Amino acid sequence: MSNPSALGAVLAHKAQAFSDFTGRAISWLTFIMMLLMTTVVLLRYGFNMGWIAMQESILYLHAFVLMLGMAYTLSKNEHVRVDIFYRRFTPSKQKWVNILGHLVFLIPTCVFVMILSWQYVAQSWQILEGSQEAGGLPLVYLLKSLLIITPLLLIIEALAQIVLLLAGKTAFAEKEEEVL
Amino acid sequence: MEWLAILMFVCVCAVLMLGYPVAFSLAGTALIFAGIGSVLGAFDASLLNALPSRLYGIMTNQTLLAVPMFVFMGVMLEKSKVAEQLLVSLTKAMGGLPAGMGIAVTLVGALMAASTGIVGATVVTMGLLALPSMMKQGYNSSYATGVIAATGTLGQIIPPSIALVLLGDVLSSSYQQAQLAQGIFSPETISVGDLFAAAIVPGFVLVGLYLLYSLGVGLFKPDWTPKAAKADKVPLKEILGSLIPPLFLIVIVLGSILRGVATPTEAAGIGAFGATVIALVKRKLSLEVLKAVMQSTLSVTSMVFMILIGASIFSLVFRGFGGEELVHVMFQNMPGGTFGALLIVMAVIFLLGFILDFIEITFVVVPLVAPVLFMMGVDPIWLGIMIAINLQTSFLTPPFGFALFYLRGVTPKSIPTAAIYKGVLPFILMQILMLVALAIWPELATTLPKYIYS
Repeated sequence: MSNPSALGAVLAHKAQAFSDFTGRAISWLTFIMMLLMTTVVLLRYGFNMGWIAMQESILYLHAFVLMLGMAYTLSKNEHVRVDIFYRRFTPSKQKWVNILGHLVFLIPTCVFVMILSWQYVAQSWQILEGSQEAGGLPLVYLLKSLLIITPLLLIIEALAQIVLLLAGKTAFAEKEEEVL
Repeated sequence: MEWLAILMFVCVCAVLMLGYPVAFSLAGTALIFAGIGSVLGAFDASLLNALPSRLYGIMTNQTLLAVPMFVFMGVMLEKSKVAEQLLVSLTKAMGGLPAGMGIAVTLVGALMAASTGIVGATVVTMGLLALPSMMKQGYNSSYATGVIAATGTLGQIIPPSIALVLLGDVLSSSYQQAQLAQGIFSPETISVGDLFAAAIVPGFVLVGLYLLYSLGVGLFKPDWTPKAAKADKVPLKEILGSLIPPLFLIVIVLGSILRGVATPTEAAGIGAFGATVIALVKRKLSLEVLKAVMQSTLSVTSMVFMILIGASIFSLVFRGFGGEELVHVMFQNMPGGTFGALLIVMAVIFLLGFILDFIEITFVVVPLVAPVLFMMGVDPIWLGIMIAINLQTSFLTPPFGFALFYLRGVTPKSIPTAAIYKGVLPFILMQILMLVALAIWPELATTLPKYIYS
């Protein structure tokens, strides 16, 4: 019989690896956004051409970047804190701030947003909602689905962190040292 | 039960002090209060049904699309070491002039501010690179640290700063809201471009003041800024090579916005592209660097928008408790009318700047106070610039200023913290001078946008 806490830790590490993987994959979208945006400007001012669909695709990429990056950002411990006192806390005090914060603030908020958005997203799927602009992308329902996916990813990452913190391990993936 | 709104505000401040991430603290506390409020019958829970469409609105906000692109540009420049090269060659070249290194630091700070707009990065880069050579040459440690901290904060105000993008978005919706409340149904709008244009003159004046101060120190306190024993000859080619890339970026980004060729969002995209080209030309662009840039863009962007989401949940609940009404009434009964209200708002924002970052203040505090001020007849563009300079000053003010923390982190122990505090003092005075000047002559900020966009 395997130790349940060991199993928890394994799952937690898997969850974190997942957050890390999604973040790395999604980060490529920022590069594509940059290229698309430059192309749009060049086409418009150089050749007087433009497509709504192309402009909207940038907005879609932007939405995917900011929403799907949130759990990754949490895993890298890069959500801003007011740290005048926090940075002087002992590691154990910091640990409890994070565990309780996840349980009291993050997870309930995410659950609430999911419940509240369910109907909103479902309606969009029912009519396979498209863009309000002529020639826009017909994928608004995918965009709206982010309101369910993002909270879900955040909850997974937060639970993983709680498990790791309770097991006395470090919860935040190693932050790469800034190259100065 | 408006007192619940006040209680919620106080509670959120207390919770934030614990150091749990701001975005989730804001949203979580607000939702807990909404729950208590609806049990007590003081809060109409159906208000929260507006939340999904609001969040969708945040995701698809055209203006804020500029954020990831400006971040991309800034991080790319940082990784391609444009600032470092410029700093090294300029300080070497100017080492023979009175206060030459101080002037070089100011110039590089202004250029970097205009091309990256990230305060922490600028202060740290200059603290690590310029400070050691200034100390080696025998510069007064107060002066050296003061000039570095102060020029580092220029990124807040000199366009294209991310701070102004966020502020522009919040102010424009507050402005529309204020006009609708006054029964104006075809409201005037302001844009991020307006704010960029408005920030140019005050930004230049500030840089000018900083330069004058350095020159004054160089002339009247020569022992604070000893000249190099033998001035290093830096080949012109090296100076130009390090000066041209940031100038090129500023010209394409700011130029295209101000000439109306591109929206700020598009200009940000072009800026990101330009920064990538610079990195490529400098042979600093490897796959590793690109990945690092993209990942850091991703996490900064998500962080900013998470706060925006948290703040919008917070303000929805705050409004549900009648908090907005409360702020309104409070301002109307303020002695001193509009001026009194402005003074209070400025003081509160200044103090909040000690604990909160620009992003939180912009998303949480500004939407609460700005509509009321606009209804009292305050000019939105002018207010935006005042807030930006005010916060910049706050980030510089001991003992809590952000820039000072960043700098302290990279200065050797041998320089006492008191020396840094003493060093920034003249700069704080110049900042206050600038704010007073703007209060007396709002035209300093408002003329250029009118001229450009008329």
